Amino acid sequence: MPQVTSVIAKFFNEYNSKTPKKLKCIDAYLLYILLTGIVQFVYCCLVGTFPFNSFLSGFISCVSCFVLAVCLRLQVNPENKNQFAGISPERGFADFIFAHVVLHLVVMNFIG
Amino acid sequence: MHFKLLLLAALVLLFSTATHASVGGYICPNDRKKLLTVLVKALINVEGDFSTPYYGIKGFKALNEQVAAVLVKDNCAHIKKYYKADCTPEENFQGLSAWNLLGCSGKLHTDATITNLRTVLESDKSTTSDIRYAAETLKLLGAAIPNGAKVAQLIQAKLKEDDSLQSLGHALHAAALLGTSGNFIQDRIEEVVVQADEVDGKLLQWEGGLTTTSLLITGLLRFPGAKPLNAQQAEKLATYLLTRRTVQTPKGALALLEATTSLASSDISPVSITIAGPAQVTLDKPELKVHISDILGRALKAPPTPVVAQSATRITDDVVVLSKQPLSPGGTPVEFVLPLRLEPGQYRIALTAGSHSTTLTVRVLGPVTLEWLQIGLGDADGSAAPRLTKLTHPSKLPSPLRADSSHHLVAKFAISRVVHQAFLRLYSGKKEIIFVAEPDNSKLYKISVNLASELAHSGTFEMELILGDSVMSNPIRWVIGTIEVSLSTPEPEKKSLRGPKPEIKHLFRQPEKRPAEVVSMLFTGLTVSPLLLLFVLWWKVGVNFGGFTTLSVPFHVGFGGILYLFFLFWWKLDMFTTCAWLIPIGGFTFLAGHKLLSHVAKHKKA
Repeated sequence: MPQVTSVIAKFFNEYNSKTPKKLKCIDAYLLYILLTGIVQFVYCCLVGTFPFNSFLSGFISCVSCFVLAVCLRLQVNPENKNQFAGISPERGFADFIFAHVVLHLVVMNFIG
Repeated sequence: MHFKLLLLAALVLLFSTATHASVGGYICPNDRKKLLTVLVKALINVEGDFSTPYYGIKGFKALNEQVAAVLVKDNCAHIKKYYKADCTPEENFQGLSAWNLLGCSGKLHTDATITNLRTVLESDKSTTSDIRYAAETLKLLGAAIPNGAKVAQLIQAKLKEDDSLQSLGHALHAAALLGTSGNFIQDRIEEVVVQADEVDGKLLQWEGGLTTTSLLITGLLRFPGAKPLNAQQAEKLATYLLTRRTVQTPKGALALLEATTSLASSDISPVSITIAGPAQVTLDKPELKVHISDILGRALKAPPTPVVAQSATRITDDVVVLSKQPLSPGGTPVEFVLPLRLEPGQYRIALTAGSHSTTLTVRVLGPVTLEWLQIGLGDADGSAAPRLTKLTHPSKLPSPLRADSSHHLVAKFAISRVVHQAFLRLYSGKKEIIFVAEPDNSKLYKISVNLASELAHSGTFEMELILGDSVMSNPIRWVIGTIEVSLSTPEPEKKSLRGPKPEIKHLFRQPEKRPAEVVSMLFTGLTVSPLLLLFVLWWKVGVNFGGFTTLSVPFHVGFGGILYLFFLFWWKLDMFTTCAWLIPIGGFTFLAGHKLLSHVAKHKKA
């Protein structure tokens, strides 16, 4: 058990020191999205799915946002520069924003 | 004893052979009217050959009726237009007959006509029908028939080829015109008569219907010396002809008239014995009028005497109530009167007129008097005697009867004679209930109605007594009064047949059950709370707005605009409006974002 805690502590320190600030922001955003999605899912399990379309749009919105944010994180991460040579972080952010606009148009349409 | 029986048998035999039946019916004025209607149509809708004018005018003459001048003119014009010297013999005969009967002015035929007809009489190709009509036409034109013996031979030759009833009928007519040369046909008369079919022992007819039967009757009766038919056959033939009184074609109407006229003017004219008017008499007017005539409704040449009602039998119990009563002559020669002063009832009267006999069924009607009636209410359990009010016929109850479920409606009445139908009818508007009154002893009737079980609900009813019988001259319907019945079930409200129907309300789907507001609000809070966490984390990570320049303002405004538009879309807008707004705002944001990000990228490289 102490090993586990030490591993976690080490991991946390490494994360704090080595990860760029921008990525930390994105990670915080990811955590936020994850928690929101979990809360909705718990509500669905405890209370029921009615109104189903609202639940679906909310939950899918969370999942999609998470996926998009992960994509953004991959593109922005300096360690992945080789893989996304032609794509600058700004270009990645523009794509992220555009995808969100389209996604939320659909979500708003579906939410009822 | 044996001798007596033998005598009786002989008498019966004598009686039955000496008298024979009669015909029940004749061509009455109503039938004449119908036949005239048919014949007038033939004269009005004249077209084609000369058959319709011929049937029409010949029928009118048979009925002794005048044809309107305008119809005469039309028909004469029609015949004149279409007549040719080389018509067939039948057309010649019909055209020229109609011409003569209509009294058209001028001469239609020419010498060529007579020559043509004479050729027909000698030609091997002529049928018996051709020969007959050629001969008839020549006779009509007053021209002689040349060489009767030769024509007779031709007819005999033709009969060998074709001995159908039609052919025989025409041969009979043709032979009748040949004088002594035509006597050969008398050998065939018996052959014709035996071919007649008897139906039910009442009718006699030849196969081929009314036209053939008529052709043969008229043909046979042109040889009165040969006595072709006996009286029974004549009666059966007359009965058949009378069943065809409703014939609808001009040809059939003429055939019927020719046959009946021919039968009526023969020696064996059938006698028709019928009741004139309705087959019933009343006690006030007991005279039964009997019509005795030939089948055309004319007085017989030899008036039948004596006319005697041999017996009158009551049908219900076969009691003979009258015998050997002669009938007195009535107002016209065809009418005879029999006074029937009898008890009301149905009677069978055996009538003889000379040698003819018949059986007539007559009803004698008599009045029924309602002697007294008592009506009132009694207890259902019969504990107390019913309280009855006595009434005489036309009067009504002074006040309505008031009854409840514990009451019986009781009615008793006495009449002078038992009737078939005695009812008490309770009615209110269109609803009615009818109760049958049963005779208590011979002439006392009683009805007891259990109001609680017979009536469905409370209400006010009119009470009516109905008395009727087939031999009752004064059927009675007497509204006695009203009864108010109050039962536990009230009178149902009358539903209006017209007026608006109840409004149909659309039923929306019921929303499903929602959780309590507290739970909803709690989870809303929970869902929003990670946002707070986000801000905390960002603050911890150390987000700064250092990169925020004036250049980034348009982009953030545009992006905010898009989010606000999405909020409005959720709130109230539809997809089309949203898209219409999204394009300019999105375009603006795109440009602003592009400028900002390229600036950021440039700045970073620099």
